[in-house]
Amino acid sequence: MTVPAWLLDIFAAIMLAVAAVSALRLAAARPWQRGGPGADADIDLAHLLMGIAMAGMLTASLTTLPDGAWEAVFAVTTAWFAWRVARDVRGRGASALAGGHHAPHLVHSAAMLYMFGAVAAPMGTVAEPAMAGMGGAAGGMSTLRFPTIALVFALLLAGYAVWDLDQVASRIQRTGERRSTRSGLRLSDAGVPALAGPGNPVGGLAAATGTGMLPGGHAAAPGDSAAVPDDSGARPGQAGVAGIRDRVLAPDVATGCRIAMGVTMAFMLVLMI
Amino acid sequence: MSASTTAATPWPRGADAVAAQGAGPDARRWLQLGLAAIWLLDGVLQYQSFMFTKAFGQMLAGTAAGNPAVIADPITWAAGIVEHHPVSTNASFATIQLLLGLGIAWRPAARTALAASVAWSVAVWWFGEGLGGVLSGGASPVNGAPGAVVLYALLAVLLWPAAADAVRAPFVAARPAGVPAARALWVVLWGSLAYFAVTAANRTAQGLHDMVAGMASGEPGWLSGVDRGAASVLAHHGLAASAALAVLLAVIAAGVLLPGPARRCAVVLAVIVSLLIWVVGQDLGEILAGGATDVNSGPLLILIALAYWPARAGTGSPVPVAAAGSRSDEGSVA
Repeated sequence: MTVPAWLLDIFAAIMLAVAAVSALRLAAARPWQRGGPGADADIDLAHLLMGIAMAGMLTASLTTLPDGAWEAVFAVTTAWFAWRVARDVRGRGASALAGGHHAPHLVHSAAMLYMFGAVAAPMGTVAEPAMAGMGGAAGGMSTLRFPTIALVFALLLAGYAVWDLDQVASRIQRTGERRSTRSGLRLSDAGVPALAGPGNPVGGLAAATGTGMLPGGHAAAPGDSAAVPDDSGARPGQAGVAGIRDRVLAPDVATGCRIAMGVTMAFMLVLMI
Repeated sequence: MSASTTAATPWPRGADAVAAQGAGPDARRWLQLGLAAIWLLDGVLQYQSFMFTKAFGQMLAGTAAGNPAVIADPITWAAGIVEHHPVSTNASFATIQLLLGLGIAWRPAARTALAASVAWSVAVWWFGEGLGGVLSGGASPVNGAPGAVVLYALLAVLLWPAAADAVRAPFVAARPAGVPAARALWVVLWGSLAYFAVTAANRTAQGLHDMVAGMASGEPGWLSGVDRGAASVLAHHGLAASAALAVLLAVIAAGVLLPGPARRCAVVLAVIVSLLIWVVGQDLGEILAGGATDVNSGPLLILIALAYWPARAGTGSPVPVAAAGSRSDEGSVA
């Protein structure tokens, strides 16, 4: 009685994709540089670790570290995000416990810690390495102790996934509204009307970021000469690279990773109840 | 966005990103998200290993028993297909439910997903639940009558994104079709539950006891303990307990017709009764015992009850007045 291997492989592939995107975000954010946009590097790092760990849990051939090592890793991330949530609560009150920026990551980390810590011997197998592929090469299925906690985590993860999806859609909708507001005619420095749209590297990039800001924090206001790449001495193509970097660092990308991980984690928890 | 963040990155990050999200969803959107989360969880539950076996098809075939031939024959036919192709059919079922949850949560797709969820729910109610035992005499509010999945369809209708001028309705459920229709649906739902509580199968001396005691197997210790305790209370008191439950459900049914404060009491009572039924009678949908395909009717009854919570006096709606002026049904479901 097992889940088809191809289904587990699909979820594992999604987790590897999440890990790859998170690694890309870490590289793009350059958190090791002072003043770089690395404020959420801890989140990307946690996503990277969770993606690799979950891929290994889903497919035995993708196992990287022993369970004990992963348990230690997620004990650290859980403690870290607990501290971050505590800081959020001090700053924003108790509402940060449910809707704060770091609360979902605390839940994700704690769920990972629980999965590695509470896993019992696979059913129908002997000495199957815990979590080394949930389907189990011998057809066994890992189960979890204290299954009520697994259900609570699954409910929380499902809740956060739909909430995140709603918020992403809401942000995209607002971005679209702002973009259409800015898509009117504007005057360049030379007094030539220019369209702020995808065809214009300045307006298009600003619109793509959805914030009205350009890389480096310059506001893409009409007539803002500092916002024009040629004025700042940038080589052709640099704006495009910066645009890609900004897209990789977009918060919605991290949220998308979180949604994928939340659904996959809920799937794994339910399978191991 | 703070100045320091602006200087560092073009994106709002961290707490700034949260602050930039603006006002949260309104009451109807919260309920839609609750429905989406339940669909998502159902999709995940459908991926359990048991569902990929022939036994799942045989379980579906079992729901045909006691139904008229016109209902039972299509169930048997569909169950045969599932039994012969368990992997492909179940993977499809699970993915559909997962997508319904994600679709309702994704605002631009919410309307389509809600409409699809109605069609899917009705199909599953027939082919997967045998109309919830309504026609076979086995339905009980304690075991999920009138079939948990049809409540998904009812919720989708009650939470349907209506025209902007409907936001001044006295409660969320009245927005799509108006107050009389919403009240009628409430009375029919809770009235039917009251009726099912005292049908022949449910008013025997040991009927409720056997139902509750039979669920303890496979549950965690604390939940089987709750089952055993409840079963001992219900032993040989089936008729009295069923009658009391029926009266309670009838009071809830009538409560929606009462003025504001009394209606609030009826909604609170509905939430409490639904919660008790979900924990004691349904064992949290038997998810912890493994093999559950959904969360059963308890959480859905709670969401339905919350959709009837009276709006704040003066506004006539839980939606801010400013939002009423926008065309919230265009590209948004809030």
